[in-house]
Amino acid sequence: MVRVAMQLLVQTVIDGLLVGGLYVAISIGFSLAFGVLDVVDFAVGEWVMLGAFAGVASQAWLGIDPIAFLPAVFVIFALIGLLVAPLIYRVRTSRYARPALMALAFTFGIAMFARGVMLTSVGFDPRTVETHLVGGTLMIGGIHIPWLRLAGFIFAIVSTALFMGFLFFTRTGLAVRATAQNKRNASLMGIDVKRLSGLVYAIYAGLTAMAGVLIGAIYSFTAQVGPQYSLLAFFVVVMAGLGSVGGVLVAGLFLGMLQALVTVYVGADYTLAIVFGVLFLILLVSPQGVLRRGLAA
Amino acid sequence: MMVQEVKPKRSAALSALSLIVIIAFLATLPLWTDDYWVRIWTGVAMWAGLAASWNIIGGYAGYISFGQVAFFGIGAYATAILMQPGLDWNFFLTLPVGAVVAGVFALIVGWPTLRLRGAYFAIATWALAEALTQIVNTVDFTGGSFGLSTPGNAETGFFYYAMLIASAAIYLIIFLLLERSRFGYKVKAVRDNEAAAQSLGINTTSVKLQAFVLSAALPAVLGGIDAYWITFINPQSVLAGDITDQMVVMSLVGGLGHLWGPAIGATVLYLSSTWLNAHFGSSTGYIAMIGALLALIVLFLPDGLVGLLPRVRNMRLVRQILRLPERPAGAAGPSVDTSGDRP
Repeated sequence: MVRVAMQLLVQTVIDGLLVGGLYVAISIGFSLAFGVLDVVDFAVGEWVMLGAFAGVASQAWLGIDPIAFLPAVFVIFALIGLLVAPLIYRVRTSRYARPALMALAFTFGIAMFARGVMLTSVGFDPRTVETHLVGGTLMIGGIHIPWLRLAGFIFAIVSTALFMGFLFFTRTGLAVRATAQNKRNASLMGIDVKRLSGLVYAIYAGLTAMAGVLIGAIYSFTAQVGPQYSLLAFFVVVMAGLGSVGGVLVAGLFLGMLQALVTVYVGADYTLAIVFGVLFLILLVSPQGVLRRGLAA
Repeated sequence: MMVQEVKPKRSAALSALSLIVIIAFLATLPLWTDDYWVRIWTGVAMWAGLAASWNIIGGYAGYISFGQVAFFGIGAYATAILMQPGLDWNFFLTLPVGAVVAGVFALIVGWPTLRLRGAYFAIATWALAEALTQIVNTVDFTGGSFGLSTPGNAETGFFYYAMLIASAAIYLIIFLLLERSRFGYKVKAVRDNEAAAQSLGINTTSVKLQAFVLSAALPAVLGGIDAYWITFINPQSVLAGDITDQMVVMSLVGGLGHLWGPAIGATVLYLSSTWLNAHFGSSTGYIAMIGALLALIVLFLPDGLVGLLPRVRNMRLVRQILRLPERPAGAAGPSVDTSGDRP
């Protein structure tokens, strides 16, 4: 009896960690885009949703397996991101009163537009991304690990590692970190903040859309799931501390685990309520995030 | 930003006259139109009140709330629950209960988040609304996802006047508290430069919290009337995220932080959405439309439709597009120091 209970616990924790990897992939670019553009992008969940639909489209229209199509998804969404970023930058740096608030409303508008267009064109039917490259289940000591989830986790870890490598070992990455710390000083050092924020936003959009393909392969989705993933990404970055990249790793995995544990031991209906409760406590106790490196005020 | 201008007397007379015409139009509406149009204008009145309540925290205090629907829903459920057989409360007595409960919720959410950057507040309010929807869907006393029905009352005119009076009262409260009192000046000072406001001895967190509680209690009253009006509520009808979206968009389209902006935005958008629904029967297209509209307004018309009126604000960009003459420098410039801008 105890052994079965332990097995369930281990299984739940592993499931949660695997999903948490994907949350890290969604949130890491989002956190950095916030650092550079100084705007919380409410469209983050819509990039996930659009990415998942791109996976469906690649299978249905092109006959290419969505997993093999991932690099193309990255390129497509990076290009879209390059188009959107200058608009956000323009609003954020405009001479309107309260530009940050306006930029927030702007991304909210983009998110609603994307959701409305997708709902109008594909309707409310749930879908999944079908892939044949990855299937089956890995068994280790009575623990089931679907290969697909493992692949998603590995994708998340690899892309996060690449992204971190870019941030910490290239000159452009140095410029990104400098800009996230202080825009005025960064531009005084000869950094083109506008071009740089376009670049970061493009990487972020591409990365998030790729994660969207994998999420779409693991869970079924509709054109309405955007806000749900936005909320999860928000949770991760608020817990990590807005703009803190290291905290995202901890917070993303924690969220995956929390969600899995609540679903198994309390009930799926209470996930959001408990997630919100935890978020509230974190804001109350440590607004700068778990590693206390974020930007609170 | 809110530089008070000395208006000529003719302009004051003109505004008074147009106000009288609008009041006369609204007050006599049920006497000369059919039920269909009375119902539509009930909706206009409700949305004008909702958008105006959102405008208190979003426009006057400068903190965007993406979860305002939670308070509308709390009001609706308070009325519906208290009017259930067995409790049988009087309808009018349920409204203040909803307002108080919504205010308490606002206090709990606002207290930790209003000290932080505006982004935290936007996220927290949004999370509150999502979590509340899920809880209401789950627990028993709200009827779960099935919902609750309220004892029906068939008189269209009653609801029209109830909604109209509630919205008018909301406007009066906003006018007195935010346009004509020390509190209003404090709220605007905090919005325009929080550090400067603090240095003048204003308790900024407390001022923001008061504004948020006010902007939460008012929509709860409208939610209560709505629950009685539509006689059947469920999470999809009174806790849907679209309701917040519309409040935000209506305020922005009309004019953020302006007294009449939300009313103008609500009238224009509600009537056009009714028209769209009647002609195309698509509600998802409307989501795309208001999303695009929101983005375009932010890009090209950040002061909303009221910015188009003469003498309201200095709308440099719109004036350029419409080739209107620039106003003399120093009249009311957009030369606001935005370095203290926090959200």
